[in-house]
Amino acid sequence: MLTIKNLVTQYDSIKALDDISFQAKPGVITTVIGANGAGKSTLLRTISGLERPTSGTIQWFDKELTRMSVEAIVRGGITQVPEGHAVISQLSVAENIELGGLFRKRIARGDLAKATTEVYELFPLLYDRRNEPAGSLSGGERQMLAISRALVSRPKLLLLDEPSLGLAPLITAQIIEIINNLCRNTGLTVLLVEQNANTALKVAEHGILLALGKVVADAPARELINDSALRTAYLGY
Amino acid sequence: MSKYLNLKPKVIGRRSSILGALLFAFFIALSAQFGPYNQTQLANVSMLLIAVLSITLLTGASGQISLGQGAIMAVGGYGAALLVVRLGINMWLAFFLAIFISALFGLFLGLAAARLSGPYLAGTTLVMALAIPSIAVRFEGFFSGDVGFSVDYGVPPEWLSNLVGEITIEEWSLYAVLPFTALALIAVLNLSNSRTGRSWRAVRDNEVAAALSGINISRSKVKVFVCASALAGLAGALYGFRGLVAPSVYPTDLSLTLLTAAVIGGLRSIGGAIFGTFVVVYLPDIIEKISGGLEISESIGTHLPALILGALLLLTVILNPRGAAGSLEHLRHHKKH
Amino acid sequence: MESLLTAIFSGTAQGSIYALVSLGLVLVWRGAGVVNFAQMGQAMFTTYIASQMIQNDYSYWSAFVVALAAGGLLGGLVDLGLMRPLTSRKNSQLLNSQSMRNAIPIIASLGILGILKALAGIIWAGEERGFPGPVQPNPISFGSTNLAITSFDLFVIAVVFFTLLLTTIFFTKTGMGLAMRASALNPEVTRLSGIKVSWVRTLGWIISGTASSLAGLLITPRTNLSPNTLDLLLIIGFTAAVVGGLTSLAGAVLGGFILGYVISFVSVYSAPENVFIAILLFLLFALFVRPQGILGSKEVRRV
Ligand SMILES: Nc1ncnc2c1ncn2[C@@H]1O[C@H](COP(=O)(O)OP(=O)(O)OP(=O)(O)O)[C@@H](O)[C@H]1O
Ligand SMILES: [Mg+2]
Repeated sequence: MLTIKNLVTQYDSIKALDDISFQAKPGVITTVIGANGAGKSTLLRTISGLERPTSGTIQWFDKELTRMSVEAIVRGGITQVPEGHAVISQLSVAENIELGGLFRKRIARGDLAKATTEVYELFPLLYDRRNEPAGSLSGGERQMLAISRALVSRPKLLLLDEPSLGLAPLITAQIIEIINNLCRNTGLTVLLVEQNANTALKVAEHGILLALGKVVADAPARELINDSALRTAYLGY
Repeated sequence: MSKYLNLKPKVIGRRSSILGALLFAFFIALSAQFGPYNQTQLANVSMLLIAVLSITLLTGASGQISLGQGAIMAVGGYGAALLVVRLGINMWLAFFLAIFISALFGLFLGLAAARLSGPYLAGTTLVMALAIPSIAVRFEGFFSGDVGFSVDYGVPPEWLSNLVGEITIEEWSLYAVLPFTALALIAVLNLSNSRTGRSWRAVRDNEVAAALSGINISRSKVKVFVCASALAGLAGALYGFRGLVAPSVYPTDLSLTLLTAAVIGGLRSIGGAIFGTFVVVYLPDIIEKISGGLEISESIGTHLPALILGALLLLTVILNPRGAAGSLEHLRHHKKH
Repeated sequence: MESLLTAIFSGTAQGSIYALVSLGLVLVWRGAGVVNFAQMGQAMFTTYIASQMIQNDYSYWSAFVVALAAGGLLGGLVDLGLMRPLTSRKNSQLLNSQSMRNAIPIIASLGILGILKALAGIIWAGEERGFPGPVQPNPISFGSTNLAITSFDLFVIAVVFFTLLLTTIFFTKTGMGLAMRASALNPEVTRLSGIKVSWVRTLGWIISGTASSLAGLLITPRTNLSPNTLDLLLIIGFTAAVVGGLTSLAGAVLGGFILGYVISFVSVYSAPENVFIAILLFLLFALFVRPQGILGSKEVRRV
């Protein structure tokens, strides 16, 4: 269970997150939707420890994350796939994947090999191109690689920042489907940030709508899909 | 911004000339009180201050870092010495021509530097600091090699002696330098307050924003290099005419000493430059006074000033990157509230 | 013919040392975004330590090992004690300008350089002294003709090649090597992979310190040792790093060898006094003709 209470994150004097509270249930997808600049990325960055909140708490079960370092949070099972297909383009595909599991190399060598095989099974295309630099991949392939890098760390909570960014609807659907299956089969918890509300709400169990750093709706995804008033007011369509 | 510069924009124009003149008078009055040794030291301060001011412009106002100001001093020094020795030109004229020679040099340097930044510029100017003095050795016939040129300020003119009485050699070298120092101070004060100075600070703080507001970044960088080189070249000419223009007079360490003076005094403040220059010139004396009673070996005595300067430099960047002038400003600020 | 051989052999031996220096600079620049102008000051200091040990009748090899360890230690200390706090602090009030944020670490490294030189002067009196190699510089002969290379040159080349081989294996075959490359290329993604980037950076400083300490041990038997001896090596290494691209480790090594040949050809075919000017001209040439360096990538270089 991810529990966020009264979270405030500021860039200098601008409050990008303004007193945010919500919960994300384990084993399901919770989606955070909102327009540009709503504070979605800031939320994920604060959970990961990349930004320090001014006040408020973030709890993952009984662990308080706001005082942990970025590395400790990842090692504690919370991995982020940042915005914009974040892979290291000068490294090969295989190296990018290896990087995701590097911190477990000593403690869980066997499982690491297994996790690597699993992501290659999920995305066979990456296996074929494992020795090529990540920079030579297409946008969709890079997103797959970024997700693979996160998955080999065996996260318990996966933070996805706009995986659909710049991708064709078909590929987006494919990626979201894979994530959905992971949730069902492995009990992975997912916090999915999306601007594309339709796609996200279809797979998610719960939805949070952010606007200007505040939570304006917090309801089961089914309800949000049908709330056209809310959508016109905050997403503009 | 004026908060960070110890200059209050509106009053500078009027004030700078008065300040320069007052400082000049103050130094002259002061110099009469001192013995020959302190007069020589004061002359050193006045010369080096001009070079330190070049860093105040370059790094403090415009954010360009140069580790080779000593080499530009060499350019000015050799320029003036060659004009006097080879062409028999009048010394005073040679000083002014040295300003132009080094400004021209600064133009080329600036054209190169406009394309470089941060570590590239620092490294390139450091290479320059080592390479330029070696040119004198390489072209020994023209630059007279390691021996260099013996040049000095000559004897004081008769009218001055008639005016103020007997003038010693030490007093004369101080009097000869002071007008240039005053001119340099006035020039720097006015420059940093001009539109050009404001555009330099904009480039320093954020190049992208400065470019968006219509400032030509390259031209701004070239300009500051020309001005700074002119100052450093003048300082080099004055520094050489203490007696010798030779590679050993302008070593790499000189460049680093100048930077140290500018940093510990406060890169963005003219008062800081003055303070820093006094520190680097007088620190060896002070240390000798303090350690005079103690029994310390010769090697400690010679290297202690450098050690303390290095430590001061480090402490400044760690604790207070705005230097002594910055802390003073900070104090004043606190008292008011 | 003979001078050509001389130039090639001495270029290789010198170039391999320059490659080490340039490698050290690039490692720290890539990892921490700092050009460490104190690097060869650190090497000078550790070479003095070795020299002191040899004077006190320790063997060359124990002095060698201690100097390398001291080099690593010094590099790590510079990072932990100075550069890490300087580059990570966020007091935007004090450092409210871009260019000053870049200038501060440079100035700090110059402070370290000044302190190390003064300390060496105080402890070891600062006058020039010789420094031995492990083998006598006997000329190697091939049949009846003497080649323009000594057994010490061969030793230098062998040590450097061995070091470069180790470094290559480290960077391409080990997890730590991968972590170092990743941290340099994209620190945020690397942190999000659970890797402690700041410690990886410190490791970069340690390796850099060790490599430059090795360079100091290998060059001083030719040049003698004084607090200022290694200044020249720093600017040669810097030029080599720029020639190689400043961001590429392979480029750094290549740049080192190129500088080795440039310098040895200049001193054999024109005159040793021309070396300084040659370096300056070569640096300017490199900066203007190919600013991204031979192997550097255009996007990474922020000029
Ligand atoms: N590094 C930063 N410095 C200053 N302000 C920032 C920074 N990052 C984000 N902001 C501001 O914080 C607010 C929230 O930004 P954030 O990136 O979290 O939005 P977002 O919901 O992810 O938008 P998008 O859908 O465009 O990715 C915006 O107003 C943005 O301008
Ligand atoms: Mg975003």
